[in-house]
Amino acid sequence: MRPSISQRVRSVIEIQSLTKRFGDTVVVDDISLTVDEGTISVFVGTSGAGKSTLLRMINRLIEPTSGRVLIDGQDTMAIPEDDLRHRIGYVIQGYGLFPHRTVSENIATVPRLLGWDKKRIAARVEELLDLFQLDSGEFARKYPHELSGGQQQRVGVARALAAKPALLLMDEPFGALDPVIRHKAQDDLLAIQRRLGTTIMLVTHDMDEAFHLGDKIAVMDQARLLQYATPAELLTRPAEEFVEKLVGTAERPFRLLALGKVREAVEPGAATGKPVSASATLREALSQLLWMGREKLPVVDADGTPLGRISIGGILAHGRQPA
Amino acid sequence: MNAISPHTSAPRTASAGAAVSLDRLGSVVAVLIGVALFVAPFVTYRANRIVAGEARMVLDALPMTLAIGVMAAALGVALVSVTIRQPIIRLVAAALGLAVIFVAVGRAPAFLTPPGNTFARISPAFGFWLLTLAFALLVADSITRLRLGPFARLGAFAVAAAALALLLVSGAWDGLSLLKEYATRADSFWREARQHVFLALGSLAAAALVGLPLGMVCYRVPRVKAAILQILNIIQTIPSIALFGLLMVPLSILSAKVPLAASLGIHGIGAAPAFVALFLYSLLPVVANTVVGLEQVPASVIDAARGMGLSTRQRLWQVELPLAFPIILTGIRIVLVQNLGLATVAALIGGGGFGTFVFQGIGQTAIDLVLLGAIPTVALSFMAAVILDAAIDLAKGPVRD
Repeated sequence: MRPSISQRVRSVIEIQSLTKRFGDTVVVDDISLTVDEGTISVFVGTSGAGKSTLLRMINRLIEPTSGRVLIDGQDTMAIPEDDLRHRIGYVIQGYGLFPHRTVSENIATVPRLLGWDKKRIAARVEELLDLFQLDSGEFARKYPHELSGGQQQRVGVARALAAKPALLLMDEPFGALDPVIRHKAQDDLLAIQRRLGTTIMLVTHDMDEAFHLGDKIAVMDQARLLQYATPAELLTRPAEEFVEKLVGTAERPFRLLALGKVREAVEPGAATGKPVSASATLREALSQLLWMGREKLPVVDADGTPLGRISIGGILAHGRQPA
Repeated sequence: MNAISPHTSAPRTASAGAAVSLDRLGSVVAVLIGVALFVAPFVTYRANRIVAGEARMVLDALPMTLAIGVMAAALGVALVSVTIRQPIIRLVAAALGLAVIFVAVGRAPAFLTPPGNTFARISPAFGFWLLTLAFALLVADSITRLRLGPFARLGAFAVAAAALALLLVSGAWDGLSLLKEYATRADSFWREARQHVFLALGSLAAAALVGLPLGMVCYRVPRVKAAILQILNIIQTIPSIALFGLLMVPLSILSAKVPLAASLGIHGIGAAPAFVALFLYSLLPVVANTVVGLEQVPASVIDAARGMGLSTRQRLWQVELPLAFPIILTGIRIVLVQNLGLATVAALIGGGGFGTFVFQGIGQTAIDLVLLGAIPTVALSFMAAVILDAAIDLAKGPVRD
């Protein structure tokens, strides 16, 4: 059905001793990390921590003072900067949609720069509108100011993905959305990322967003990278006090539960009541148990086969600080 | 505009119990019409083109039936303007009123001039102009309230221009003093018209050619911006006569030293200094609007364009200039309307244009000759404003709110 969408183009990004100084001020201080192919890395930290600068050095909107960035082993400095940017999707907080161009013209920007033929561009635009649940009859000819915030955001991401980049850079891509739409937009991004396998580097200052989206989270403060680890590791083994504080000590167990699946805490035995799906998070299961006032509930998998039961005690064990 | 808005005043007046709520602009228009009909003269009769004239009221200026027709039409418009609010009806009434008085005034010369007299001059007088003003106000207000789109405005303008052209070509106005003045100078009129348009449009084209790149440089290099805008600001404050004087010396030297310049018609006086002065005055609006236009392009749009790999040139042509265009066009509009008026002064130093008639007319105390220069100038400016306003609306296109 969608051969070109299930493209499995992925990239490994290696950042080596990347540093940026403006005069005497160090904005990014000797950062090294590797983003695995097909994963989402989220960069969090207070404002002014250097997250955006780091991101903008990947596509060379800002030139590094020292250090280098390798994409699939190739040094980005060896690629002409416009060519490099054609290959990297870029989404910013205000989206920066071109107000004088229609939705489809906006999405077609990079394919046009790359000289794709008209038929191929039209097909690609159609495909992306479909992927982002924007009816092409209704939206293709609209101008950005005629769209809602959520629709603008989707067009912004669609435009960034138009030329099938293996890497997508996102700088506060959900910052302008209200909370309800934001959550839906995050879910949509996750679904699309899982389908396309695009490697994503995302900057945010929203901790919930980081835990929701990140395969790995990089915590930055005052130009330095404090910790780059999986969400669970960040919760259970914070590298510094600042990380612990940023993660939020009160939120910690709940965040941990949100990372675990019911499948991991299934116990043998039976229980009565409305069954819980094995793919639900432990946090969702706990919330359901509390709300219904039960000690345990049965667990079923996607096709309804009973797998056992889940109990409050079993869940709580997963939210405890590891020994 | 708020003062005449029916939304704010109407409900209050109505709740106060007034049976008829008067429209304020309509009332002003009605008063103007009243004064024009009953106090002011409709045409002026002069024995020849330079003596003082005698006033003629409507009833004395036209054949009886036509005079009554004009009075009826004008009073009708006054009634409509006071009592009816629908802009379309007011527009039609005012347009009909204009048509009636424009045709009627053309009949006055035949009625007033003694048979065989070729020296007598009949010209529209204060009352006629006042009626024109009153009707035109109503037309303009109605068009504003109708919120016509750019094409509809151009269409309305084309209809009005065609009607006026028909009156001129048909000979209906040939008896009027102004047209008699034109008849004796038809050749020089069109020559000066061409010169006038050449001065205004040519200097604008030159200013656009220099000003647009200069504006882009100012936008890209902030340090240059302040200096350039400061210089252009100073030029703008020099009075036109003084600027002509300042230009005479260098241009005379240029003409004397460089034979090519002289053979191109560049001299210390004449069209060259006028052209250069108009060009210099045009630079500030063009450069300033180019800079403002480019600077108001949202930073996020430019960031996104860079991030997607548009080169500097692609960004300029595909993003920055298209988004700045409506504001640049506003600058062009300012310059064109300003130049069409200012070009009149060129005649002072032998630069030609409609100013030639204005200054000759002042010299001879022949008001008709002054008007022969002034009226086309005003008409040209008005036309330029209407056309460019429509173009600006079209350029704003989808970005308009």
